[in-house]
Amino acid sequence: MVEELSGAIALVGYGLAAIGPGIGIGIVVGNAIQAMARQPEAAAVARTTMFLGIAFTEALALIGFVLFFIA
Amino acid sequence: MNPVVLTSACDPANEIICAPSDVLELFELPTIFSVGPFDVNRTVLLTFLAAGLVVAFLYFGLRRTSLVPSKFESITESLVLFVKDEVAIGIIGPEGVRYTPYLLTIFLFVLVSNLFEVTPFVSFPITSRMAIPLFLSAVTWFTFVIVGFARNGIRYVTDIAWPKSVPLALRPLVGLIEIVSTFALRPLTLAVRLFANLVAGHLMLTLLLASGVVFFGAVGDIGLRAIIGLPWFAFGLGIFIFEIVVAVLQAYIFTLLSAVYIQTSVHPEH
Repeated sequence: MVEELSGAIALVGYGLAAIGPGIGIGIVVGNAIQAMARQPEAAAVARTTMFLGIAFTEALALIGFVLFFIA
Repeated sequence: MNPVVLTSACDPANEIICAPSDVLELFELPTIFSVGPFDVNRTVLLTFLAAGLVVAFLYFGLRRTSLVPSKFESITESLVLFVKDEVAIGIIGPEGVRYTPYLLTIFLFVLVSNLFEVTPFVSFPITSRMAIPLFLSAVTWFTFVIVGFARNGIRYVTDIAWPKSVPLALRPLVGLIEIVSTFALRPLTLAVRLFANLVAGHLMLTLLLASGVVFFGAVGDIGLRAIIGLPWFAFGLGIFIFEIVVAVLQAYIFTLLSAVYIQTSVHPEH
């Protein structure tokens, strides 16, 4: 059973690594849109902070992507 | 060898999955010529081209500043002012003006390098080679570490390792996490973020466009079924536009994070 799985196990790992950041980016962007809608005059600050939040959250998925190539 | 040529080598009528015989061929670029001990390949040439383009862009854009700027001059000025106002002053604060030249250089170099991905007849982002993002993030690492020591002395490290604002019982744990994340994870994730985004985009473009081309090329063998290449090619063109956005966004994020890291060294208490 384990031997049969060995071919594509890195792909499964990448899929698992993408779940958390996917949810996280959704939360970040959703809240940033709420902030921009509530206070349009603060949209510039919210947008910069949103990109920062996306960049930090996205790093986990990208590390999973790189590990898929290394594995 | 060219990936399109490699994928064309198999017969889509009989083989369902077309794979190159040796995947490493896709990643090793042939040496064009050698200067002493240095082998020069396409990546090196494109790196010098990107640097030259940035220098030429800034030189010709700001060579003769006039009261009523020409179109080219106003494009250059708006880019410089964007980095100065939005990134340097917006993130670091009033003293961020000192770091504008560094941030501008890194922004324009990464932007040009990324846009090579969607430039016809080049279509190779040099930032998808780990050496270049890693080097750029190493420069950022040295910048924020040196600024931190110059501004705060040895307290720069001790404040990170022993954070005063955290309850006493948690200080060793938080300090350890902070030390690792500041000095090891920051440069690594900064480089990997840029690298992985560009590799993923480049792979998607190559796979989608090349599969379209291969199916169209096999129209003699598989007849009307070659129409299946059309959605792949259309999807590839859609991703192409998406990749332009990604290229600009990643250059912006790289500059933004460099500014944030420098900011944490200038004002470590925030």
